[in-house]
Amino acid sequence: MLTFIFRRGRKVNLSVLRVILAEMRKNYKQFFFTYYTVFWVLILPLGNGLLYYFMYLPFKKTNISFEWLGNALNMDVTGFILIGQLLYAFFMSNLVAGAIFDREREQGTFEMMLLSPANRLAILLGNTFGASIRYLWLMIGTLFFFSFSFNVGIQINDFAAVFLSLLLSFLALLAFGLSLAAFSIQSRRGGLIAIACQEPVAYVSGVVVPQNAIPQTLAQTGYLIPLAIGLIALRLSLLGGALLQDILFLLGSLLIMIVVYVVLAHFLIKFAEKNAKKKGTLALF
Amino acid sequence: MDVGIVMEDIVCKDLTRIYESSKRKWVVGEKTIKSVIAVDRLNLEVKEGELFGLLGPNGAGKTTTVKMLCTLLLPTSGYAEVRGLDVVKNANQVRRIVNMVAGGERMIYYRLTGRENLEYFSELYDVPKQKIKSRVSSLLELVGLKDRADDEVEKYSKGMKQRLQIARGLVNDPQVLFLDEPTIGLDVDIAKDIRQFVRKRLVDEQGKTVLLTTHYMAEAEEICDRVGFLFKGKLVALGTPSELSRMLGKFITLELIVQGATEQAVKELSTFGDIEVVSVENVEYMEASALKIILHVTSDELTPQTVMRFEKFGAKVVSLNVRKPNLEDAYIHLSKRQES
Repeated sequence: MLTFIFRRGRKVNLSVLRVILAEMRKNYKQFFFTYYTVFWVLILPLGNGLLYYFMYLPFKKTNISFEWLGNALNMDVTGFILIGQLLYAFFMSNLVAGAIFDREREQGTFEMMLLSPANRLAILLGNTFGASIRYLWLMIGTLFFFSFSFNVGIQINDFAAVFLSLLLSFLALLAFGLSLAAFSIQSRRGGLIAIACQEPVAYVSGVVVPQNAIPQTLAQTGYLIPLAIGLIALRLSLLGGALLQDILFLLGSLLIMIVVYVVLAHFLIKFAEKNAKKKGTLALF
Repeated sequence: MDVGIVMEDIVCKDLTRIYESSKRKWVVGEKTIKSVIAVDRLNLEVKEGELFGLLGPNGAGKTTTVKMLCTLLLPTSGYAEVRGLDVVKNANQVRRIVNMVAGGERMIYYRLTGRENLEYFSELYDVPKQKIKSRVSSLLELVGLKDRADDEVEKYSKGMKQRLQIARGLVNDPQVLFLDEPTIGLDVDIAKDIRQFVRKRLVDEQGKTVLLTTHYMAEAEEICDRVGFLFKGKLVALGTPSELSRMLGKFITLELIVQGATEQAVKELSTFGDIEVVSVENVEYMEASALKIILHVTSDELTPQTVMRFEKFGAKVVSLNVRKPNLEDAYIHLSKRQES
């Protein structure tokens, strides 16, 4: 992914990848500025995983009825919720990434980013990716650790299905996060929006309650968010023993979402930058 | 004979910026829109390799002008170009050849080291990878931060942060540099170092075009080739510092320290047509309170008369300094004229 720009007849190679990596490095250095942060990042997900497990342990003997395309599956409640909470935590990391720009705007560095000729989408991607990759440990490490240690009803028949569900969910949520980050540039209320979105998104995406148990209009709204589709794919492949061909439709939907949200982010950031420069709201807070 | 062609690096034609803010009473109430003209039909040309000072009080439109020129703000109307590139249509090309440094302690990452900050911004400007290390090191040396390069910025003093900001503004080796109040809040000696650095290293040695905004008149007088006075978004005077100082023409400046003067006495002075009261401030002189009064008089023959006028009101002139008007006098004179 390289952009070529001409300057005084000379071809200049502006590497989008370099901007993404620079943003990620900056994010990391800012986040892990003391060793304590590294410690807490490693420890907290374990604590969260334990919390989710024991919170729903009293319902252990109750199976949850999960319906998908007319098939009803009985799933272990703790496993169902553990997967829901973990992917939701990852989704939250993307929401937080959007709010990062609020802080950048306050400290004046946001203007300096936009003063440079760097690709705007690359800046967004680096920020979102940098913030969300920290949660990969939470998502994958904790999920597998607790799944196998506490017997939460894991039933895997196709590892490719699990891997692709995880990968595409991750990328789709990342793309969704990009759009949110671009929107947050426009609104200057990224943090507030992030907080306001938490509970409704968790509900319509079926984080703790299966979507067949919530009003269908709300459930259908949830399908616009990659969290809901990703959760179905992950639950089916991890707890329902689904094969790759069983979830192809879901994986295809996630793939489409990745494209749609990246394109949306691209236009949103252009619009947001132009609008902010028109209104003079890049630095004012 | 070698005749160099001097080009204009910055051109503004009727450049205007209006800020609009809307407020609604409650949620569904009537919406009121308030417009503020920050920059009003500004016409300006800055030559290649020139250090140009844009002066004016707070809210005069200096920062807004700089932001429009470095593509951070869209003009409401008018036109501006940097090195022949339209700041709106060719914004991306403009961003490659300009940079901006603002006063204060913002615009850098406190949790990163000085070196990491510069490396990060070099990446954003697509500085060739093999050049980043050497350029960052030389910039750190240039601004005197080589020994503290690997310390986190949060451990830097105010002056060090400002010097790092200047280094950040140079990572892309810009041809045109905008300095927006770069010495604001700095100690006198650090501010002087920065002024000398800008004049000698950036302009004289490297030939960069610098547009400096400031409300410190002495700063502009010391280093600028030309200055422009901006009041309420309008450019009201333009010239070299000495040209503008001479603008007061026949006036001479009297600096008096007066004890026992009342406000009435000062007011009385301003009723005389040949005396203009420029400023009055409370000071302490020989452990007693006094007024420092700056006056413009049309002739030095009026000096003894002025002293006598004070004495008539029972006040005592304890110090008197007669000098030629400087840029600050011209600025105050113009601002008073604009306000009236």
